[in-house]
Amino acid sequence: MGEVIVVTSGKGGVGKTTTTANIGAGLATLGHKVVLLDADIGLRNLDVVLGLENRIVYDIVDVTQGNCRLRQAIIKDKRLEGLHLLPAAQTKDKTAVSPEQMQELCVELKKEFDYIIIDCPAGIEQGFKNAIAGAQKAIVVTTPEVSAVRDADRIIGLLEAAELRDSKLIINRLRVRMVKAGDMMSIDDIIEILAIDLLGVVPDDDQVVISTNKGEPVVLDEKSISGQAYRNISKRITGEEVPFIDLQSEGGFFKTLRRMIGLK
Amino acid sequence: MLFDENTILVQRTLRSGQSVSYDGNVVIMGDVNPGAEVIAAGDVIVIGSLRGVVHAGAGGDINAVVVAFKLVPTQLRIVDHITRAPDGAANTNSLKPEIASLKNGVVTIEVFQPR
Repeated sequence: MGEVIVVTSGKGGVGKTTTTANIGAGLATLGHKVVLLDADIGLRNLDVVLGLENRIVYDIVDVTQGNCRLRQAIIKDKRLEGLHLLPAAQTKDKTAVSPEQMQELCVELKKEFDYIIIDCPAGIEQGFKNAIAGAQKAIVVTTPEVSAVRDADRIIGLLEAAELRDSKLIINRLRVRMVKAGDMMSIDDIIEILAIDLLGVVPDDDQVVISTNKGEPVVLDEKSISGQAYRNISKRITGEEVPFIDLQSEGGFFKTLRRMIGLK
Repeated sequence: MLFDENTILVQRTLRSGQSVSYDGNVVIMGDVNPGAEVIAAGDVIVIGSLRGVVHAGAGGDINAVVVAFKLVPTQLRIVDHITRAPDGAANTNSLKPEIASLKNGVVTIEVFQPR
């Protein structure tokens, strides 16, 4: 039986879709059978980030309305054996799917996949309710900004109200130098307010933008530090204990990088 | 100061968007995060950090107080007196619980002294 995990944030633009794509690719690299479900109907991007846009024939609304079988709508990734995508519809809106239909869909997908990762739309309305309806676990993504943390807090409250407890936190786009200068919220500042378990910290990295635009998850880039962060997050999701990358040590980025590749 | 026995106990953290409103005293075992609000006819006691909006004595009780382990509210109201931290003020990190009360018509914040 697979596990259904929703990736959510409340605020838009903090990196839900990028996180979903990278966690999915990371888990597939580890040998798991993964399907990514884009719940952002009407504003789909997950297919673009994965570079699979031109392969879409059917989408999630076609499945729930019975225009096709579930199997027909699922797209296999072009690089990774275990990675699959169930794309959102672009010409419909959030009301095209109901929470009950999402639950049924998740039950079906659980039979075949180890992990079902749902990319939740921004906001707290219908789209959010649909996305969390079938989920067993939640990952909350935030950036080190007061507005994003505030929305993450709201989302955690709503998840708890929907009986989704023990959400895990990913802090995205941390800029170590700014934190050190006291110009950005630190990991501790964020944890103090949100008070949930930290799943990982992804440093701000130009490479993410580059690979997103190319349609290639950065997690597949062995050299990038953000890719390493996503690989660690993927391992933690499978239950493996992985130490956190020491982003805030003296000596900064290059020392961290050298330690990562084993030069100490 | 407890003006009667009418008190509710909230055994969780109030997150942004959540609110507790009660016709009596409110005790919260957890934090009150920014964006959350607590409104009470009587006293408000927070066994944690109070960072949101709090209104004590909402029914007109001028003896109402607010006590928190860490008292750093977005806005603090007692009866019809509304206060907030001065703009640009550094986050005073008092390690002791603090109490806010009305004294001579002014909201006053002091270190909490058990009596």
